[in-house]
Amino acid sequence: MAESGSETAAGAKPKRKPIVWLGIFLISHSFFFSVVFSAAGVVALLLLPVLAKNTYISENALMPGSAASMLSNQEVAEASRLVSDLTSSNLKPLGSAIGSQRILAQHMSNLGAEVSFHKFHSQRNQFHPLHFFSSPDSGRVEQNVSCSMHGVNTVGIIRAPRGDGKEAIVLVTPFNSAKVNPNEAFSLGIAYSVFSLLNRVPWLAKDVIWLVADSQFGEYAAVSAWLRDYHTPVFSGLGTLDAEMCPESNNLYGMNENLSTERAIYDGFKRAGTMAAALVIKVADQSEQFEDGLSIYAEASNGQMPNLDLINVVNYLAVHRQGLRVKVEKFWSLLGVKWLNTLGEIFESLGHFARSLNPDWKFGIPANDYVEGSATLASSLYNQALGVPTGPHGAFRDYQVDAITLEISPKISLLDNIARRNDLLLRSGRLIEGVIRSVNNLLEKFHQSFFLYLLTSPGKFVSVGVYMIAFALLVAPLPLVATSLYVDASNSDSSVKKEKPSPSAIITRESWKWLYAAKKAFIVHLWGSVVSLLPYFICQMPSCTPTTSFIIWVLLSVLSLVLMYMVLASPSSHTNESQPQRVEWPILKSVTLSAAFIGLCLMSVINFATAEIGGLLMLPMCLMAHPLKPDVKARSKRTLSRAVCNLVLGFIGFPPVAFIVLKGAFEGLGSTNVGDYWSWVESLWAWNSATYLYIGMVHLPCWALCIHILFHRS
Amino acid sequence: MRTFFNSMAAAAVAVAAFLLLGPSTVGKSMAFASSSSETTMHTNNWAVLVCTSRFWFNYRHMANTLSLYRTVKRLGIPDERIILMLADDMACNARNKYPAQVFNNENHRLNLYGDNVEVDYRGYEVTVENFLRVLTGRHENAVPRSKRLLSDEGSHILLYMTGHGGDEFLKFQDSEELQSPDLADAVKQMKEKHRFKELLIMVDTCQAATLFNQLQSPGVLAIGSSMKGENSYSHHLDSDVGVSVVDRFTFYTLAFFERLNMYDNASLSSLFTSYNPSLLMSTAYYRTDLYQQHLEEVAVTNFFGSVMETIHTDSAYKAPSRTSSSRAEVKMPFDPSVNDNERRVLADSDRRDHISDLKNEDQQGAFGQLWKTINDRVDKIEDTDSFVQYGLLVMLPLLLLPTLLSW
Repeated sequence: MAESGSETAAGAKPKRKPIVWLGIFLISHSFFFSVVFSAAGVVALLLLPVLAKNTYISENALMPGSAASMLSNQEVAEASRLVSDLTSSNLKPLGSAIGSQRILAQHMSNLGAEVSFHKFHSQRNQFHPLHFFSSPDSGRVEQNVSCSMHGVNTVGIIRAPRGDGKEAIVLVTPFNSAKVNPNEAFSLGIAYSVFSLLNRVPWLAKDVIWLVADSQFGEYAAVSAWLRDYHTPVFSGLGTLDAEMCPESNNLYGMNENLSTERAIYDGFKRAGTMAAALVIKVADQSEQFEDGLSIYAEASNGQMPNLDLINVVNYLAVHRQGLRVKVEKFWSLLGVKWLNTLGEIFESLGHFARSLNPDWKFGIPANDYVEGSATLASSLYNQALGVPTGPHGAFRDYQVDAITLEISPKISLLDNIARRNDLLLRSGRLIEGVIRSVNNLLEKFHQSFFLYLLTSPGKFVSVGVYMIAFALLVAPLPLVATSLYVDASNSDSSVKKEKPSPSAIITRESWKWLYAAKKAFIVHLWGSVVSLLPYFICQMPSCTPTTSFIIWVLLSVLSLVLMYMVLASPSSHTNESQPQRVEWPILKSVTLSAAFIGLCLMSVINFATAEIGGLLMLPMCLMAHPLKPDVKARSKRTLSRAVCNLVLGFIGFPPVAFIVLKGAFEGLGSTNVGDYWSWVESLWAWNSATYLYIGMVHLPCWALCIHILFHRS
Repeated sequence: MRTFFNSMAAAAVAVAAFLLLGPSTVGKSMAFASSSSETTMHTNNWAVLVCTSRFWFNYRHMANTLSLYRTVKRLGIPDERIILMLADDMACNARNKYPAQVFNNENHRLNLYGDNVEVDYRGYEVTVENFLRVLTGRHENAVPRSKRLLSDEGSHILLYMTGHGGDEFLKFQDSEELQSPDLADAVKQMKEKHRFKELLIMVDTCQAATLFNQLQSPGVLAIGSSMKGENSYSHHLDSDVGVSVVDRFTFYTLAFFERLNMYDNASLSSLFTSYNPSLLMSTAYYRTDLYQQHLEEVAVTNFFGSVMETIHTDSAYKAPSRTSSSRAEVKMPFDPSVNDNERRVLADSDRRDHISDLKNEDQQGAFGQLWKTINDRVDKIEDTDSFVQYGLLVMLPLLLLPTLLSW
């Protein structure tokens, strides 16, 4: 495009290809088009809830709901007994942790399942700069773990009677054995009822694994530790070594002798086949809804989603078979927003208008649906952009296993009404049974439906093909404006040159002028990566509050910037040059825009939602950037307002400020301080979120370059 | 080289005959040659039953095929004359709640996968290649007789196919396709190799009618479950097994046959009219233009049943002598008009045979031989009608001569 631009300047070729002509046309009207494109990008984003399609089950093999449920009241009664056992064991003061696990293992074993215990050590969240894109099993650091910091997962496996044993379906119930929570006990009851049914059905083609994850160090840690050990078999005697290290673990093995069952509980690690899907079952506290509800959490690390078919199956069975009200997360604060409501009404009336023109045009949804859809979409975008899994299901996604968390929220308290409890137990059990039977029918991995999508309701989604348009429109102005700035700059150069011919040495240097700007941008990006690595050292410092850590981080960043500037980009290195090597700001802005464009496009491949939100934050700041000095000097209304805009955008564009502003917008400014930003960033790297890298290596350098342009001496 | 010369010679002879007899007569003679199989007796029945889809959720396709297998067996086609091709084994699928059983109805009264099921091609053996090999009879030497379609020019063949199809194709094994030209070509080869007298193709797939578009061979009758652009639907779901167990078209076909026994004389047209589009949720399609007889006059047992060889013996304990055995079709109690018609057709075709014989010799022999044969024939002619016919034939070369001169 740059070449074609210079061709226009030369005006040498009268006949051009249409695409070249289009490029030149776009570049020469870059201001107009950049406004149009970015506005269109925002409108397209706002339109996404309207453009959402209904979900459908894409995989023929699944056939959800085609089989009658076999779960009967008998299983439910047994499960109910287990729940009572567990809750009563909580009342016993001593050894309840071991007690409840023993009860569970005994129940599983009585069913005829293979039972084993998995012992794991919780890992502290540490900053590992190299872990962002590495496989999760590389973090096998088991040094100096204290024996008190170990948890025990209980694993039961049912082998499919006529299956080939190569595939498995996983049920996960997080359960804190130290303190039995009635909700967790209830979720164990659901899993147990299904497990006891599956133990005697003849139609299993995949093994079923029931993992009771010890959640005393967090649900995610337990599940991910089990998954890590499941997928990395150890052939040395490390497992036994672990057991010997902690004498207290003998309690667990001692209980084997207490069991009067025929099957022994196996000490080692038991495996089944490749995991086809995993369901995490949780029970929430009593909700205010009028119906029993089911919340689906699907987001895994870095915005990865399970296959849409899995959500579809759960949604279909829950709504059409068990009469549960299915919810996905949404931003409740957005529901009351006025402008969103108005926008919804506008879209609704537009839809009516379109239908009056042609009844076949199915456009537009009711305003209420639109607001709900946008709130869900915003939450979906946010959760994906954050890159932090929304539940233990996230651990499965690291191994390419499709998994979701199902959170059942009962209408009334479970403790009060046994009949109600059994009814809900039956319905939830049937739901899980239906999903398992459906996944059991699967012949391959989930692959038919979408992996890249945003949900606008449990039954509606926006696929990658649609939402990418919004993003493409949003970032399209960046290369346009960059090119036009570059072309303008080189044009002015050539006009200067024509007036007074200068030595050829200078001409070549002039034409390579962008290199200096590129070098500057490169140094700033280098600084950005240094800043992203700094927390590794700050973490090593003992006893730091988030606020002090944050302040140290900022100070170190500034220090490193100054150092780098002095070493690499100081003007002294150019003293021997004849002309002053001050980079002209349009060239610098052009390079900044290109860098932002490349960064955003790369990020959109890794995590679309981050790129979309980042684009929304960064685009106005980058496009508006203009030196303040001439603007203030000109003193016209237009230039002054531009200067103010620039200052505001530059202020908001600073990542901590952006974070605090957004947090305040959604949660209220009550208890925000700068330390929150540190905690937030800490959580990002703890979850290996690429968003952290994006902030450090794309957003921050681009912000710094924009600020540099604002205070440019020209 | 040798074949080249041979073919050249054959071409030359053909051209000579063409010049002599004119295009119309040659065309006619070829038509006679191909219709000559009509004259042969209907001596045996074969059935090729194909289920082309695998995977558990296609249970119904296997159930369709097995139901039809059971029906044709019940109506008299023996196992050795049924080629059964099943692309997957639902009975032993781990997901099957009833191991080693296959049902086509949710009442589970009838296990289709009982003792006497002889599957000839199973699993990954069911390919387009093997299917075409079975039809055309081009097998490797090692293929056993039980896996071959050993039909002859007196055979009535029922070809039943079910699976997932589309516009002019039928999917095999979720990996390859049988296209309508392939099918038409195979049928044509069968015709030329005298592998059938009549062929009924019955297809239960989506857009089944399109599969017959390219068929050209005479003696072929085709029924499809749906027209172009239509889907064929399953009939009902067995919520115990968890899958759909039978397709609508096959279900109603079976319902029709359940009322029949081996000796019934229901006609093909009664089968064809039994399909109700509203129950089928698609429109059954029949292609009859290649089939000469009237459907009202053809019994369904012509295809779905079998002729049987009866050996007549005078006394119970004497060893039957092969020579005295008479091959006879088990005459269904047809109405007399049908019998009349058949007889008439036979008489007609007798006469036509003579003519076609003559033409064949014409093509084989050279100029003089042609004259010789014609003279011979003329000598034998007794009735005036045929004399006139032959006279007209002789006139043809004379007619051709002015045409040649005018060039």
